[in-house]
Amino acid sequence: MADKIKLFVNGEEVEVESGKNLVDAVSAVGIEIPHLCYHPALGADGNCRMCLVGLEEGGPPLVPACKTPAQEGMKVLLDAEHIRKIQHDVMEFELINHPIDCPVCDQAGECKLQDYYMGYDRKDSRMTVPQVTKSKKLDFGGGVVHDQERCIVCGRCVRFLRQITKTGELGIINRTDTARVNIFPGRPIDNRYGLNVVDLCPVGAMTSSDFRFKQRVWFLKKVPSVCHGCAKGCSITIDHNREKYQDDIIYRFRPRLNQQVNGYFMCNDGRLSYRRENEGRLTQFRLGKNERDMLDVITGCNKEIAHSRKTVVLVSPDLSLEQMVSVKALAEKLGATLSGFSDGYIKTGDGDDYLISDDKAANRKGLEILGIDSSRKSFEEAMADAELLINFNNDLSLSYDESGIRSLLGDTRTIACSTHDDELTGQAHFALAISSYSEYAGTVINCDNVLQHFTKAVTKNNELPDVCAIAAELGSPLQNAGQAYAELQRAIGALSEYQPADIPAEGLNLNDSEAANVTA
Amino acid sequence: MEVKILSAKFDIEGANKLEVAKQHGAYANLDRLFSMEPADVIEEVKKSGLRGRGGAGFPSGVKWGFLPKDTGKPVYLAVNSDESEPATFKDRYILVRDPHMLIEGIIICSYAIGSHDTYIYIRGEYTTQVKELQAAIDEAYEAGYLGDKVAGHDFRVDVTVHRGAGAYVCGEETALLESIEGKKGQPRSKPPFPAVAGLYDCPTIINNVQSIASLPYIIENGADAYRQYGTEKSPGTHLFGISGHVEKPGMYELPLGLPLLEVLEKVAGGVWKGRKLKGVIPGGSSTPVLTPEEAKTVTLDYESMAQHKTMFGSGGIVVLDETVDIVKLVKNLINFYHHESCGQCTPCREGLGWMKKITQKILDGEGTMSDVDLLRELCDNIEMKTVCVLSAACTMPVRSYLDKFRHEFEAYVTADESSVAEAK
Amino acid sequence: MSDRSQLISTGEPFQFDKERDAEFERLVKRYPTRESMILPALWLTQEQEGWISQEAIAYIADRIGTFASKVYEAATFYTMYNLHPMGKHHICVCRTLSCWLRGKQEIIDYMRDELGLTPGKKTEDGKFSLEEVECLGHCGTAPVVQVDGEFHENMDVEKFKSLLATLK
Repeated sequence: MADKIKLFVNGEEVEVESGKNLVDAVSAVGIEIPHLCYHPALGADGNCRMCLVGLEEGGPPLVPACKTPAQEGMKVLLDAEHIRKIQHDVMEFELINHPIDCPVCDQAGECKLQDYYMGYDRKDSRMTVPQVTKSKKLDFGGGVVHDQERCIVCGRCVRFLRQITKTGELGIINRTDTARVNIFPGRPIDNRYGLNVVDLCPVGAMTSSDFRFKQRVWFLKKVPSVCHGCAKGCSITIDHNREKYQDDIIYRFRPRLNQQVNGYFMCNDGRLSYRRENEGRLTQFRLGKNERDMLDVITGCNKEIAHSRKTVVLVSPDLSLEQMVSVKALAEKLGATLSGFSDGYIKTGDGDDYLISDDKAANRKGLEILGIDSSRKSFEEAMADAELLINFNNDLSLSYDESGIRSLLGDTRTIACSTHDDELTGQAHFALAISSYSEYAGTVINCDNVLQHFTKAVTKNNELPDVCAIAAELGSPLQNAGQAYAELQRAIGALSEYQPADIPAEGLNLNDSEAANVTA
Repeated sequence: MEVKILSAKFDIEGANKLEVAKQHGAYANLDRLFSMEPADVIEEVKKSGLRGRGGAGFPSGVKWGFLPKDTGKPVYLAVNSDESEPATFKDRYILVRDPHMLIEGIIICSYAIGSHDTYIYIRGEYTTQVKELQAAIDEAYEAGYLGDKVAGHDFRVDVTVHRGAGAYVCGEETALLESIEGKKGQPRSKPPFPAVAGLYDCPTIINNVQSIASLPYIIENGADAYRQYGTEKSPGTHLFGISGHVEKPGMYELPLGLPLLEVLEKVAGGVWKGRKLKGVIPGGSSTPVLTPEEAKTVTLDYESMAQHKTMFGSGGIVVLDETVDIVKLVKNLINFYHHESCGQCTPCREGLGWMKKITQKILDGEGTMSDVDLLRELCDNIEMKTVCVLSAACTMPVRSYLDKFRHEFEAYVTADESSVAEAK
Repeated sequence: MSDRSQLISTGEPFQFDKERDAEFERLVKRYPTRESMILPALWLTQEQEGWISQEAIAYIADRIGTFASKVYEAATFYTMYNLHPMGKHHICVCRTLSCWLRGKQEIIDYMRDELGLTPGKKTEDGKFSLEEVECLGHCGTAPVVQVDGEFHENMDVEKFKSLLATLK
């Protein structure tokens, strides 16, 4: 823990962490110093002047809070009349050349200019002379669309691309009030994290071509979750909504602050992976090619299982720990061979040393901790004389080409429990639709051994069973995810003191807990 | 009234050439310099009371004392030759007429502060001057006054000329450093101050050309000799630039402390064309204007200027005759500062353009009294809310014109109102 | 300041000529970081070509090893960099305080009336381009006009006329 120091804000003593700037130090105790250009991940720039505060005694009377380290005994003036006036004046300057086109702006509802206008300005415009005009709807590449007139030139986007991705596609061109953000012609935003500039932009200047005009943000329900795009497991917020007469769908993923995993950011692939939750989903239960009631298909499956002399159960490395536990119990019950073979999920060389992992599986650590064999050799040996394969959402097409799958399966009968409808589920003898991770709650462990819990975000009109429920139907002694979690607590010592809801938002780092205490 | 300390060689034909400059004493002090301890050099400069001649007037020796000791990093000297403040044209004479005085000053300063690398930041507009300065530096290298062994002593000084390219703000010392680093000239927040973390994040001293060029005289003749000119608190001489509506505009070296009006009369020939005086801008366009009445009691030094709520600034004096339209002058001024705003801080970036448009509106006869009030209020709202003082360089003088010549603004507004009334 | 963000593409690759190439290599040794070469390299380009194209900015960025956006920033921030071709003779008239007080407008008006030349424009034959610039630091000899980098002080319309006559 950092040292604590005491300082005064508006005459009241507060205890804050030392080593932080004033904005962050007092925000931790619930005091907001308004700021636009400052972002904790990008450092202080000091250009917006919105965070100017007064200092009584010693030092200059007026300082930018973002550039000023919190110090013992400091006397900070925040709601003094002259500071309120500065905040008002800065907001007036921010707004004189702003188009105030909130009704057609995607940022409306989560815009710092709107918030601060209400908080610090609230005056009529005194701008009676022509505004500065700049360019609009600029395609910056990478799915980023820019409006120079809405921009307040805080430079967060520029700093992100120079400091974090080190790709430097953006610059602030010109000077004075014609200053504007732009790409160099022919060198658009071209990096795998570019869409973070949309989140970083405190106003509506940076918009995502993917999200633009799709939904007003105040209609979106925001649920914390974990990205399943790769083994990094970035903390995210799922923004979803059910429009009248429509199904509940996801409009966007946004990174959720987690200093233990992803900081403030996430990659573009992960961000756009929400689409896969909405699209291409298997929603039917099928016997062969024919749609049937779920119970009919389950009954068929159970007959098939009873007849099979050798069954292989395959799990996806994307499943939650609870689901893996359920499936493992099922396999034990059936005396089946359990495999987590999923080499194809690993795209060697695709990852980086930041937030993208080579491994596109969300919970491979889960397989390891639960002792589920994932080797190619044992999977293929088991498959050689298997009569039945029960596949829990493991995408074999990642590991085998078409002919490879054909020779792997031979005349093995298949039960495919799948979130998505593809060629393999089309060919399966039994196909069962299951819910995907935005539709159930669960626990996953990322590549750095951080365990995170995520909750159910989306409720479909036609709700699908999750893997735990299907496993139970097929004979697993664990009836649901709750029972599976209790089993999990026995396997992972670190979980023994946590109910799912109590797992900290930033997750549990199993490296520094008693998680070594794993008894699979 | 004129004295010839800095300008001693200005009228000598060919003094920009090493050969001629040496005949007149250039580089004669180096043996003495290297026999002194650096700390003694700093002490002598402190004693001389030399104040930064770029506009701020900060004591040079004191500034050097801010350098941290033994950081393990190189110490840089940046010579500010960006003189861009309108009405300022003094350093140019040094660059062209006696560049070796500047180079000798650089050697003195470098030795005092333990620096081996100097960058002279010269404004891009000085197209011919940069060539002449470079020629002098090349000569100095050839003669061994610059390079690995300055005049045979075991001390290296390298000097590089870095050209600006049209940005007034680069005269601000941290913007100047940014510009040398290849960036836009956007001033840095302080702290850290350049003496601690300046050029390339190393300890850096930034001094104006004239300040540096004053050093050879001080080292040769001692602090006391320098102090015989000027006043107790503003010692020495200054290269004053007198421009605008006078009979004999030009650059004049004068001791500090002389009465302003007397100088204008005796040195610059008085207001031109026999006209009356309307106002005097005492130290570059960013200094608040003085009315003829105020000008009567002002002397040309830092203290008297401050007492009159204006500034000594760069010593660029501009005389305004009775025909000057103050509103148009204000428009011209705001144009300049708006054009030169680096675009970094919100109040300056957005506010100066707003002020410019409001002034234009008033000039166009479309203004109202509330526009005049708004213009005055914006001066307060912008000033001192920004990283550097560029915005204040605009608002301070504009406020002074609004306060001292408000009737001229009102005349534009009411003329329009009465014509509107007539039309009805 | 007007918008300078629109760069002109020549469609041809740019590179320094032999002389500038050598000068670049000489200068780069004077600085501890290569980025310090951004301003000098832009000057070298302008010396060579008279103006700075989109290709030249990309070349400088790549040669220095920095982001094109940074060179683009500098090229547009510093107003002396010409981002489009100038006239054969480029005329800069100082428009700031002292020159304004001492009659720069008469020279501007003369060019408008006699040559049809207004600030920011070129004459039709491309012989002259005109720019009104901020303070040139020659206030004691105002008004001042800078033609192709050479200063002409204490100007008035008559002197300016005879100056123009010397420009072929």
